Amino acid sequence: MIRLVAGLLIAAVTLALPAVLDDSALAVYILLGLAAMVTVGVSLLMGYAGQVSLGQGAFYAIGAYTAALLALNGVPPLAGLVAAPVVAALSALVIGTPLLRLRGHHLAFATLAMQLILLSLAGQLEFTGGDIGLQAIPQFSIGSFEAAGAATYAYLTWAGLALVMLVTRNVITSRPGRALRALATSETAAASSGIPVGRYKLVVFALSAAFAGLAGGIYCFYTGYVAPGSFPVLISIQYIVMAVVGGLGTIWGAVVGASAITLLLQALNTLSALPGMPTYAPSVLSYAVYALVLIVVVLFLPQGLLPAVTDRLSRKRRSTPVETR
Amino acid sequence: MSAFLTYLLNGLAVGCAIALIASGLVAIHRVTGVVNFAQGTFAVVAGLCTSSLLGLGFPHGLSELAAVLAAAVAGLLTGLAAIGRRGTTPLSALIVTLGAGVLAYAVEIVLWGDQPRSAPGLAGSVTVAGARIQTQHLLVIGVTAATFVLLALFFGRTYLGKALTACASNPYAARVVGIDVRKMGLLAFALGGLLGGIAGVLVTPLRPISFDTDVTLIVNGFAAAVFGALTRPVITLIGALLLGVAETMAAGYGYGSHQLEVALGLMLVVMIVQASRRSAISLEST
Repeated sequence: MIRLVAGLLIAAVTLALPAVLDDSALAVYILLGLAAMVTVGVSLLMGYAGQVSLGQGAFYAIGAYTAALLALNGVPPLAGLVAAPVVAALSALVIGTPLLRLRGHHLAFATLAMQLILLSLAGQLEFTGGDIGLQAIPQFSIGSFEAAGAATYAYLTWAGLALVMLVTRNVITSRPGRALRALATSETAAASSGIPVGRYKLVVFALSAAFAGLAGGIYCFYTGYVAPGSFPVLISIQYIVMAVVGGLGTIWGAVVGASAITLLLQALNTLSALPGMPTYAPSVLSYAVYALVLIVVVLFLPQGLLPAVTDRLSRKRRSTPVETR
Repeated sequence: MSAFLTYLLNGLAVGCAIALIASGLVAIHRVTGVVNFAQGTFAVVAGLCTSSLLGLGFPHGLSELAAVLAAAVAGLLTGLAAIGRRGTTPLSALIVTLGAGVLAYAVEIVLWGDQPRSAPGLAGSVTVAGARIQTQHLLVIGVTAATFVLLALFFGRTYLGKALTACASNPYAARVVGIDVRKMGLLAFALGGLLGGIAGVLVTPLRPISFDTDVTLIVNGFAAAVFGALTRPVITLIGALLLGVAETMAAGYGYGSHQLEVALGLMLVVMIVQASRRSAISLEST
């Protein structure tokens, strides 16, 4: 009952916010939703499949470039948006087949290498527009309806996020989800009870890539341009920070983590824009915050923010003498 | 032919710098099982320190020494964060060192700004068999060779070095005979910082260093270190030299823009080949 009310309340607030926020706040709101979308995938990959990907930004970039290239070549934007996650997932299948033989720090470095190679290629190839990237991407439209304002993109983003969360929830609660939890603890044990370890890891990798690709697709329509500079290595690290902060392997944790980090950075940005602050303040503050939050959470709250808080609450509830349930 | 020789020697110098960074990675990974993502940062810290100290008018030698010590201190601090707390798993420690590297970005921008900096090295060049070699390149090769000899002596001939090796081969047994494994781990981090610092000091005169150079350095260093499966220093050295020569050849014969892809592609292939020869059980038990 409480969960249902809370869910409805969150849905109502989410839907109401785009109507009341101004344009600059909406930009934060949209980027938050996009970050949360990618983070849900990272959290699924790290928490359930036990794999660290330092290259999630690469799939975000693949999604954005796919949608942008299709839209620029006259394909309807909706088809481009659908193609973005599909292409991202397919490239994850192709890249993942050799890469997922690796594990632990090897996989972390391999995915980082993949993103560096991809960015370098995007910066040199002719059809991706080189370092300048692709510009003048048309607005998102379905039929005759054209997304003009930021509010429309906010609804699009959060609809995408809701879809991503629903898919993730269904995957986790299904039989394959149980198998994923098993292989995160011990691949050997999982394999000996008949779980096709390699195939499952690959599917989760592709699924998380699809989420990132969808976010990238929406991003390119919203900003109207994509360039290699939009997808630095730091963006992949940022998703790790968000997933770790929220709590690995929890769907809502990913959203909480993405919100906490985005809002914190936004607050710091306003702070560093105050008169009297040095020009390097924004980048220094954001680097310092990423780093300190990551280190403190990994060392002292290894479960993440959301599980830590809910544990505390449920313990308090349990300690009260009258059991309500 | 002389062009080939020039590329070869330049490549060896580049490879030597990579080898120093990779050997720091190997030293830390052997003793603690942690892959130190902040290894490139140590080189950047040392490089930026030298350029500042030389700029302030301190003499050569003193500036370089101070910069290397600063890098060693940075290594020790990273180690404290990564393994100072009991029960941190190697993968958590990897993420902590990642955080340490990003934190270093903030400190470096405050202290040195975000523009690349360089430092004067040895000027002039030598002609060897018709090939012109910058003296700084020869210095890099010489210092690296000396460092590796000293490392071999340290690990093979001193009590401290043997204690470190003991922790590497069996931490439990090392603890039983009275070696403080945690202290040795911190020592390994300081040593890693020292080696990274030497690399940074040597490289800064050759190519300008900025706060985010560490990604290229660590990726190259890691690529070399995987040749030796992150545990064998000699194979790491060979891997680093091969990598340096391959990159310089690629740049010299007109594929300059694909230098990074060469290094990364090589690393991926080596890792995948190695992984296919190991079983999952042997990895999970360690």
